[in-house]
Amino acid sequence: MILGDLLGTPVHDDDGVRLGRVADARFVVDGAPHRLMADARLLGLVVSPHSWSSFMGYERNSLTQPWPLPQLLRWRHRGSFFVMWEDIAVLGDRSVRLRRGYTAYSPALDGSGQE
Amino acid sequence: MKRLLGVALGILTAIGGFVDIGDLVTNAVVGSRFGLSLIWVVVVGVVGICVFANMSGRVAAASGRATFEVIRERLGPRAGLANLSASFLINLMTVTAEIGGIALALQLASSVNYLLWIPLAAVAVWLVIWRVKFSIMENVTGLLGLTLIVFAVALFLLKPDWGNLASQAIPAVPAEETGATYWYFAIALFGAAMTPYEVFFFSSGAVEEGWKIKDLIQSRINVLVGFPLGGLLSVAIAGCAAVVLLPAGISVTSLSQVILPVAEGAGKLGLAVVLLGIVAATFGAALETTLSSGYTLAQFFGWSWGKFRAPAQAARFHLAMIICLLVGLGVLATGVDPVLVTEYSVVFSAVALPLTYLPILIVANDPQYMGQHVNGRGVNVVAMVYLVVILVASLAAIPLMIVTGAGA
Repeated sequence: MILGDLLGTPVHDDDGVRLGRVADARFVVDGAPHRLMADARLLGLVVSPHSWSSFMGYERNSLTQPWPLPQLLRWRHRGSFFVMWEDIAVLGDRSVRLRRGYTAYSPALDGSGQE
Repeated sequence: MKRLLGVALGILTAIGGFVDIGDLVTNAVVGSRFGLSLIWVVVVGVVGICVFANMSGRVAAASGRATFEVIRERLGPRAGLANLSASFLINLMTVTAEIGGIALALQLASSVNYLLWIPLAAVAVWLVIWRVKFSIMENVTGLLGLTLIVFAVALFLLKPDWGNLASQAIPAVPAEETGATYWYFAIALFGAAMTPYEVFFFSSGAVEEGWKIKDLIQSRINVLVGFPLGGLLSVAIAGCAAVVLLPAGISVTSLSQVILPVAEGAGKLGLAVVLLGIVAATFGAALETTLSSGYTLAQFFGWSWGKFRAPAQAARFHLAMIICLLVGLGVLATGVDPVLVTEYSVVFSAVALPLTYLPILIVANDPQYMGQHVNGRGVNVVAMVYLVVILVASLAAIPLMIVTGAGA
């Protein structure tokens, strides 16, 4: 499975209730160091209930220009949340299931792209 | 002094490089059918291309990334690929139209059938791309393209009734035309002025020439002075057609009709100059569009690209351009009328424009790419107004094409 297949996959909670689709995957670069860059590690997935289209960079809260584009894009992704890799129970071909009692974090990032 | 010369050269090549086969044909068609009643669209288009080129040039200088690198990064591979396919196909259509334009102009100069000129034109374009330095290529075709000023000269020599001509410049649908055709040609004229390849080429050229932030002022002057003066050339082309062809009831369907008013106003010498100008302008645009097809593909797929590298170091980039030229040749070899290809290419350019405009607008506002050089508030207001204009033109183009039978 490649990451491209995962994007758009429906996400369900432990009771089978549909929460949305995978809109994005977040990585941290803290794996084994190499000459150019350390290995990336999958931190978790962004789940969006209305649209799995790209955030176009507006997941960063500091971006507010040009009006009204950020507002429109954030509205398309209203209700989206971030789940850690540890909270994902099953990563299937057709659906992703979360563990019971998963934590939904805010998908927003600060200006430099950090959580 | 050297800096001043650089600015002057930049402006002159921007003027000479502004006009291509799309501008030549569309302005003449519009002038011969609508007089100057659509001239306001040229103004809208020129301001638009200034806004767009200014943003993409700034993105290129501040982030070191050309247009399609930005699109790939910001839209992701899937949406980016849809975007690439549309932009690339329309660019290929423009390559075809420009090569056809070179051949048609050479036919007018030599009476040798244009189909025989086409292979020669394509090989010449390829040789220049393969061998000639970027700056020389830019400056020579730009300066030779300046000879198209003969359209303005001819307009004066035709001694038109200026008052009457000025009164035509008010937006109104002529009695013989319908509202639908009026708006269809408005979109064609807008697409001709704001062809996306100009922006691919402009931003990739910025990377080719290694622009830094300190070069931005010069590039801004080139754009803000050169493009409007180039737009004046477009107006002169439409003006000539409006003075000579409109009263005679000739609606332009061939390149010979585009230059007819110049022959009438400026005689044999004018004719010689205008043919040189058209060959230079279409040749320059053929180079730019062919390079643009290589740029877009290479930037999207992450191949090494650029004329600053030896062809062996950018093999896929050069191979892609050779294939594009061969495809253009193949299309023209079917005997399809290059003028018709041109008329379609400008309209489809308008259709595809939002695909490249929106990502550039978003990135031009992103401090992670731009640092302190993000769009100012004023630029954003104008840029958002243009986003709406571009979206409306893009959505209306195909329905209007169907309703009007492509403006027939």
